[in-house]
Amino acid sequence: MSQSLAVIFNKAPYGTQSGRELLDIALMAAAFDMNISALFIDDGVYQLLENQQPDILNMKNHSPTFKALELYGIETVLINQEDLSQRGLSADQLLNVADISPSSNINQIISRSDFVFML
Amino acid sequence: MKTLYILNNPQHFKQCASAMTEEDTLLLIENAVLLADQLEPRSNYFVLEEDLIARGLSNNAEWQTKDYQGFVQLTLDCDKSVSWL
Amino acid sequence: MAIFSLLVTANPHSSQGQFSAIQFAKTLLNQGHELKRVFFYADGVLVASRINCPPSDEYNLTKTWAKLAIQHDFELTACVTVAMKRGITNATEAERNALTGDNLDPAFEISGLGQLTEAMLESDRLVTFG
Repeated sequence: MSQSLAVIFNKAPYGTQSGRELLDIALMAAAFDMNISALFIDDGVYQLLENQQPDILNMKNHSPTFKALELYGIETVLINQEDLSQRGLSADQLLNVADISPSSNINQIISRSDFVFML
Repeated sequence: MKTLYILNNPQHFKQCASAMTEEDTLLLIENAVLLADQLEPRSNYFVLEEDLIARGLSNNAEWQTKDYQGFVQLTLDCDKSVSWL
Repeated sequence: MAIFSLLVTANPHSSQGQFSAIQFAKTLLNQGHELKRVFFYADGVLVASRINCPPSDEYNLTKTWAKLAIQHDFELTACVTVAMKRGITNATEAERNALTGDNLDPAFEISGLGQLTEAMLESDRLVTFG
């Protein structure tokens, strides 16, 4: 059985590079046939907002790459339901790439993955 | 999977603890060792001794301590480690 | 005895993570375990510059990693994409990108993220220091 990796996005985009650099790890590991889950929790849920325009600050917009997750065979893409509602965000403000999921389900994936990365 | 959670940022304690199950272990390192001074000890919670000593907190904690030898052993006793950043 | 690899993402100039990683590495080696590779990513790659020049009364993280790696025969690998972005380069990459100098410490190598994945798959334990 192939090894599994969960990457946890828990920080908002652009203030740091962590989202972008964590995404690169996920894509690389997918190329190695690892079973990847991408999990968005806490302020990481802001990574998936649809209307990001960092180009007005001359920063690269990495959010379109989240749409490529499926292309890379990364099918488990979950965003934490409680963290979304706590921040007053709803599904229609998000890129259509993640399934909304309760913490319990996300924690289960963290628990059963062979590797877990945050950045 | 029995997981060792390694926490170095005290601000992420709540997040980290909420991902843990009862069979998991927590080790506070670096600035997160301050939490051992503030929170109640638990049977599956540990704090890194060298980081307490470095900060002049070695006598304060009621938490169970691990030195670096114990830290390495914890990573082997658990199935994997998660550094909660 | 177990085989370890480390992922180090901590900025060597502004956080403790590199010190923690070195301490962890020394301890596991003293216990007779094997260290296969230390993979540097994100700001962690900044430690790979041979021209890092801390004040003389401070610990030189680059030299400490280098000495430890030579002594115990493990790999110090910095991710090429994030390293180049941060101005860490070897002679080959410098030439390819028309840069005037290089600064990678000879004990380190720069390589792709695949080296991290390989370390994950070929070690018993992977521990991250961020």
